[in-house]
Amino acid sequence: MKQCAARYYPLLPVLAGYLTMFLMGRSLSGMWQLMAMLAFYCALGQAFNIFLGMTGYVDFGYVAFLGVGTYGMALAITRLASFEGLGLGIIAIGLLLALVMATLLSLAVGAVALRLRGAYFAIATIGVNEGFRYLIEGAKIWNGSEGIIFNAEMNRIFGRGLASALSTFWADVMVFIIAAVAAWVTLYYMRSKIGYALTALREDEDAAKVMGINVTRYKIIAFTTSASFAGLIGATSWALKTPYVFPPEVFEIHYTVEAIIIVLLGGAGTLLGPVVGGLIYGLSKYWLSVIMPGFQLLIFAPVIILIILAFPDGVVGILRKTLKNTQLEKFIE
Amino acid sequence: MVLEQLTGNLVQGLVLGAIYGMATMGLSLIFGVLRVVNVGHGAFIMVGAFVTLWVFSSLGMNPVVAAPLAFMVGMALGFIFYYSTIRRLVKAPELASLLATFAMGVLLEEIVKLIFGSEFRGYNWVTGRIDLGVTILPVSKIYASVGSLSIAVLLYLWFKKTRSGTAMRCVVEDSEGARVCGVNVDGVYALSFALGIGLTVLSGVLLTMFIPVGINPYMGGAYTLKAFVIAVLGGLASPYGAFFGGLVFGLIENGSYTLFALLPGVEPFALTRFLSFLVLLLILLLKPTGLLGKK
Repeated sequence: MKQCAARYYPLLPVLAGYLTMFLMGRSLSGMWQLMAMLAFYCALGQAFNIFLGMTGYVDFGYVAFLGVGTYGMALAITRLASFEGLGLGIIAIGLLLALVMATLLSLAVGAVALRLRGAYFAIATIGVNEGFRYLIEGAKIWNGSEGIIFNAEMNRIFGRGLASALSTFWADVMVFIIAAVAAWVTLYYMRSKIGYALTALREDEDAAKVMGINVTRYKIIAFTTSASFAGLIGATSWALKTPYVFPPEVFEIHYTVEAIIIVLLGGAGTLLGPVVGGLIYGLSKYWLSVIMPGFQLLIFAPVIILIILAFPDGVVGILRKTLKNTQLEKFIE
Repeated sequence: MVLEQLTGNLVQGLVLGAIYGMATMGLSLIFGVLRVVNVGHGAFIMVGAFVTLWVFSSLGMNPVVAAPLAFMVGMALGFIFYYSTIRRLVKAPELASLLATFAMGVLLEEIVKLIFGSEFRGYNWVTGRIDLGVTILPVSKIYASVGSLSIAVLLYLWFKKTRSGTAMRCVVEDSEGARVCGVNVDGVYALSFALGIGLTVLSGVLLTMFIPVGINPYMGGAYTLKAFVIAVLGGLASPYGAFFGGLVFGLIENGSYTLFALLPGVEPFALTRFLSFLVLLLILLLKPTGLLGKK
């Protein structure tokens, strides 16, 4: 029993982080939006880390899964708006649709792109993101480049009060939950056969293959898990929060890069990394946008280069080195 | 009627393709020698476009003058980025160099935005037109594609005939072996990176001679994806392959646009881009060494 509990010690600082953010947002006035933004970045990092951190593969098209999730929720709300009596059930259907669509896309992409390695994989995934966006625009699927705006449907189904509560509060609460669940799944994977297989793969894919590890299978598991969380984040943090979806916005490559920065900043492949990275990134972005609006990227670009050169293991990597052989060691993973 | 339009567009595609090829050679050169994918590629093309704009609008000079200037700006940027960053990442995992080159691209975009602002710009260089029967070509476009072709030939000669070109080919074949034979591998890496960036910035000049509108700090994004498709088409590591890949891509792009425009209820421009993505995936899957690459 004690053994079993000890397995989950590293989850404590992660969950404590989310709880602190949540409570600060609730009790201090005017803080909720900031905390919600931080939670979004942490969740994004947490979900992306399952693939990037564990496999070492760079998916430059990650945001496509958030985009598809956003469409899932948007489609559920607009297509089911005329059915009376579904009420909040529509949100559940939307989440499910987002999950299914992101998972299906990731299976399709994974089956093709995961045969490639390194630079070729990165290039293929940029192509997937852009290609999917232009397919939606070009073939006019789901309203094409006009996008979907569903403010009116939200108000009609849920009533003005509930619709506004959904977008200003409950959407963010769901993001907190998704982030926590993603953290739990990460730890579960780390402690299971999947984690060991992926570590072997990250170190030396050919050697892992020779050892008899079915690398393709484990890569697809990590890829699909990571993508389905992205779908849920898109459905909540994007669709429910701002009731519209436009292809150029939801397939914007900068979000993918933000996710990569968060994971690297905190420490790729660590459990606590995305939380630390998300907090540092979110807070500094917020702060920079206050003191010099419009030029955050000018500051961030050299910072990214510096981090890559000077701290390739991220903050948690350094933390783990300093805390080695202390009581706190078991809490940092 | 359609056939005539198609022929005309294919001629345009070939002319544009020469510039696309030129715009991709730098990417392939850098990947071939250093095994680094320059994800910020488009931003360097954008820098070339702004050099042309500046030469034409502020100095009132011919865009042709901008070409050597842009090449030197590119070489300088290449050396700066190589010695400050890339040098330490050549042997690092891909993640590091991918992110670093992306950050370089973002940095350039933001600096250009700081200096020139983010609105769309363009310039008007009057050179007259030539009627080819099937289509009409502005003379500036012909300058641009002939320029691309001559630069490609020059690069080829430089590779084959000069000592530093030979050293570069040696490093591509076997960097350890080259080091043993007394080749300054670090120097070759630096030169290849700078040359690759120089060619990329230069291609931005030729591109704006072809399409002199839509110049803004974020114009590079579209060209990054195109350059990837073209590079993969010609075999990611081969600069000449990239040039022929560019010709093929120009033909595909202009030809498919003509055909997509016939379909009712679609946006042909976006579909053309979707098609380029399909081409990318197919080649990566079927023949990742490129259509013209070695087995």
